[in-house]
Amino acid sequence: MHHFTATKMSPSMKMADQIDANPRLLLMLQHFNIDFRVSDLTVSQLCKQYEISEALFVDIANLYNGFGAKKNHTYTKKDLLQVIDFLKNSHHYYRSDMYPQINSYIQLLQKNHPEREFKLLNRFFNEYFTEVLEHLDYEDNVAFPYFIKLLKNRSEESVPEQFSSTEYSEHHTDIELKLHDLKNLLLKYVNIEGDLDLRRKLFFALYELEYDLFVHSLIEESILIPSGANIEKKENA
Amino acid sequence: MLKTTLHIVILESSKIIFEGLYSILYQSDIYCRVYRAENIDELSDILKTEKINIIIANPVHFVNRDKEINKIKKEFPSLSIVGIDFGVMHKAVIETDASFTLYDTPEHILHLISRMDNRNKSISGNSDDSDNLTKRELEVLTCIVNGKLNKEIAEELNISIHTVVRHRKNITTKTGIRSQSGLTIYAISKKIVEIEDIEI
Repeated sequence: MHHFTATKMSPSMKMADQIDANPRLLLMLQHFNIDFRVSDLTVSQLCKQYEISEALFVDIANLYNGFGAKKNHTYTKKDLLQVIDFLKNSHHYYRSDMYPQINSYIQLLQKNHPEREFKLLNRFFNEYFTEVLEHLDYEDNVAFPYFIKLLKNRSEESVPEQFSSTEYSEHHTDIELKLHDLKNLLLKYVNIEGDLDLRRKLFFALYELEYDLFVHSLIEESILIPSGANIEKKENA
Repeated sequence: MLKTTLHIVILESSKIIFEGLYSILYQSDIYCRVYRAENIDELSDILKTEKINIIIANPVHFVNRDKEINKIKKEFPSLSIVGIDFGVMHKAVIETDASFTLYDTPEHILHLISRMDNRNKSISGNSDDSDNLTKRELEVLTCIVNGKLNKEIAEELNISIHTVVRHRKNITTKTGIRSQSGLTIYAISKKIVEIEDIEI
């Protein structure tokens, strides 16, 4: 049985060993557009091959490994553009992989349990999903383009005035809260029996999603937003 | 991330000890925010602005500061104090709620801290994490399920909006459910409202 033994990553470690210690890093590789066949490469070699900043890669990996964010780390503009690509890729994973998967489990469960209570749970999920999509759209269409403009130094292209990094962090609503409601309802309250296979898959999917969303907001809050705010400060100075 | 966050001050002038405790806390599943105070005065300043639940303290800072400590204890009765036992003092300088040594395992220390967390909860009136709602909370919940706004609930139950907000907060703490639609499902599962009453 797999025992979770994530340690703090350093650039000289073999990537394959790291994945073995924490399989959640596979998700991170995918968000970085790195193939899973990492051969015998060290973290450092892998980063070089894919032209990803080593410091950034290690920092994000350590967030996935459960270590807190580094304080006052400075990232280059190129790093931050890679962060945005990373976040965009994770949006793709939520939109076209995780949510449809969770939705299909809920649909199947509803088929087997036609009680009205479950119908409500289904409606709850749909409302939640709509909210998530709105938030992802906001990030894709407003927040990320803003950061990209800021990072590419194109100040002549007028930046939308109503937007700033701090406002973004306020706007950054916690999708995690409703996910938490959903999990709690299923764990504690909703009367449903049997169908353990399906329910386990649903739970695993919810936990996987929850973890990635958690790291996702950590990246936004500890890397993207502070760095964006710093650049704004410099440019306004 | 979703449980109530514990606000913890570490009163310790050694950066090594502070950083060690800090990383143990942050790597645990206790949701907390950690503040650092190097002396009693810094501690008092933090207590003025933040709602602190637990102080982890090197008792050496309490020596000859009884007056300040008693004032703090009186002003914040629900505050727990956990002492770091360095094994050098013959008797406890002040009464702490628990203590640990620097050689205790992280698990032991975290267990102590989470016990303090439960103690806090029982002081603030929620005897445990159970979702036993009071009669009034059930009435408020029924209104929420029926889609009523705070103002409407206040009018119907003849209470102030402020009180409605407080009830809502308690309902969320007890059930672990925050959203209106989530609470609806909760109320139906618990048979607090009839499912037929709800429009689907």
